[in-house]
Amino acid sequence: MSTLASPPSAPLSLSQIETRFKNRIWRGDASGSSADPVVSSGFDELDKALPGGGWPVHNLTELLLPAEGLGEIRLLGRPLGQLTGDGRNILLVGPPYIPYMHAWENLHIDSRRIVIARVYKPAERLWVLEQGIKSAAFGAVIGWLPESSLQTTRRLQVIARTAASLIFLFRPVSAQFESSAAPLRILLGPVTQHTLSVRLLKRRGAPAVLPIYIVLPQIKPFLGSTVSRPALAHC
Amino acid sequence: MLWIALYCPTLSLDWIERRFPAALIPAMAVTVRKGNQAYIQQANKAAQQWGVTAHQPLASALSLFPDLVVLEHDPNEEMKALQEAAYAALRFTPNIVMQCSGLIAEVSGSLKLFGGMKKLCRLLNRAVAAQGLQLCVGAAPTARGAWLLAQSAPPQTVINGAGTKFHSLLDFLPVSLLESAQAHLEVIRGIGCKTLADLRQLPRGGTARRFGTGLLMELDQAYGDSPDPQKWFEAPEYFQQKMELMTQVENAGTLLLPVQRMIEQMCGWLVSRYAAVLAFSLILHHEHSARQPYRSTPINIRLSEQSDDPDHLMILLHERLERTKLMAPVCGLELIADEITAGIEANLELFPTAQSEATSLSRFIEKLSSRLGPPAITSLQAVSDYRPECSQRFNASGIGGFSWRGTHRDRIPPELIRPAWLMERPLELKLQRQRPVYGSLLKLISGPERIEAGWWDDDAITRDYFIAENNLGQLLWIYCEHDPAGGNKKKDWYLQGLFG
Repeated sequence: MSTLASPPSAPLSLSQIETRFKNRIWRGDASGSSADPVVSSGFDELDKALPGGGWPVHNLTELLLPAEGLGEIRLLGRPLGQLTGDGRNILLVGPPYIPYMHAWENLHIDSRRIVIARVYKPAERLWVLEQGIKSAAFGAVIGWLPESSLQTTRRLQVIARTAASLIFLFRPVSAQFESSAAPLRILLGPVTQHTLSVRLLKRRGAPAVLPIYIVLPQIKPFLGSTVSRPALAHC
Repeated sequence: MLWIALYCPTLSLDWIERRFPAALIPAMAVTVRKGNQAYIQQANKAAQQWGVTAHQPLASALSLFPDLVVLEHDPNEEMKALQEAAYAALRFTPNIVMQCSGLIAEVSGSLKLFGGMKKLCRLLNRAVAAQGLQLCVGAAPTARGAWLLAQSAPPQTVINGAGTKFHSLLDFLPVSLLESAQAHLEVIRGIGCKTLADLRQLPRGGTARRFGTGLLMELDQAYGDSPDPQKWFEAPEYFQQKMELMTQVENAGTLLLPVQRMIEQMCGWLVSRYAAVLAFSLILHHEHSARQPYRSTPINIRLSEQSDDPDHLMILLHERLERTKLMAPVCGLELIADEITAGIEANLELFPTAQSEATSLSRFIEKLSSRLGPPAITSLQAVSDYRPECSQRFNASGIGGFSWRGTHRDRIPPELIRPAWLMERPLELKLQRQRPVYGSLLKLISGPERIEAGWWDDDAITRDYFIAENNLGQLLWIYCEHDPAGGNKKKDWYLQGLFG
């Protein structure tokens, strides 16, 4: 036997292996973590389910929505409010309706920091999204993409890797059967008037099976069954 | 003092070549008249391949290559090309002296800003060469010294005489470079003087008597022994540059290079005035004739924030040029700085700050509106009014980004629930057994909330708003008109918004 051969070492225990190859081993049952910074969603249950504990920066987040008006803006209200509070801007690309700024203000989002790109042709939408993601001006970019392909999401994801903003893409529910390059895909659905079911179709780490139910803010005024007040003439 | 001289040996050809698209430059030669015979002064590369060389009589050149494009030497056009180059050089120093075939720039005040002599020399050389001139560069502590060094340099090289070796470099230059020696070259050569050092060794009294005091003066100025006052190039009050193209251009892409040069000139002019541009226009001139009614195509560009950055202006212009349909071939270009304002301090900070973010926002807005048109990008300003139609208004992006920034925010008190989305205009809902339908039968959840306003501007509304839900789970904001006289009449329902 050669004298240079190293003495046979005792096999490493599982925990030793794990500590030694800390970042290179991924356990299939653990929820994924990543080095990318995250922004808290403002909902504890959702934060727990999201890899890293919040909405990921540098990545696309796809939100699949059966129809507008389910509470999708209230779901994002907290991080958006925080961003505008820090003096950062938000870009809306091709929103389906006109945003009603008074309602956004009441979610503590500074309406002066919202920039709306009213583009509705698919190619223009994509171009504006790309420019918005590349630009350093925005803390969040929200785009509505009724039609898109794997290539476009892949392209956007590549650009998003270098960006420092939150990026949300609203897509129709039918897109859940198409593949997409977004590392986080979420299916939203209604439960009751102010509860939203959130199903994580795709995330880093172990797949989530059960949907999460999220109670949206603005619940208080709903309790009053009839709100009747005299119209206030503004002077 | 530190001078950089840019000598342009082939100026008489360069000014023509820069007006051609690069691929279409023909074999050309410039002629001068001596007596009653024309001689070739300079021939370009394509012509040289046919054997056409300088000092040839025109007749023999034409016999070598009959298709040769011959132009007469035109000092006015040469001066114009040099002036344009001087504009571009103004970016680096305000002190520029025009020579008959080059520029001399005094740069001692700009060394620190541009990172030292070597870097500045390279930048200046590149900026002026980008104007389509071939350059020889010399640097020296005196203007005339730098000019002599530049003239002695081989094409496209730099002789750096700044420092201790300046005198020894000058010593070896041939006498023929001196302007005031031109008339006496034969004699000077005859007495055995070849270099400037030889000339300086001659007794001064005798030299002055023989060749005039001008020669001694020029020598002294070159060596820095006597003062050498200069007449600086003065930029005009307004920027309006016109350039005629030598061919008819039908493709906007071919225009990019000359446009880029003009933009560089404008930015140099702006820097020299500590100004920045707010609006500028590029006018494409067409050859006007009876069959072709278009005289010119103007492209007006308005910036949301003043800028003196050529790259940025070029991006905007590029976007617009791409979208512009050329009605007829272009034969000339004109660039005008329509509106200028005080410049902004350059952003030299290391990390992005709120201000640099604002800059990138206004750049983003400009880029979008130059490609998609200004209405494509807006913001919404909340107005205190309870009527949903009047409670906000679109702000088009204009000068200074969204100019209302910093105003206080009006909002409807949070107890009143408002939807995140509004319809463009209220949608009349179908009725089923007198109940409104949207997707499915609607279930009223809360309401009514009466909004009665607008009596002051003839746009009065009296509506009862309800929040309703359908089977899809959408929460809707609907209303019915309140009609105090109508009593039990059938009500019309409208959808105004959705609770996003």
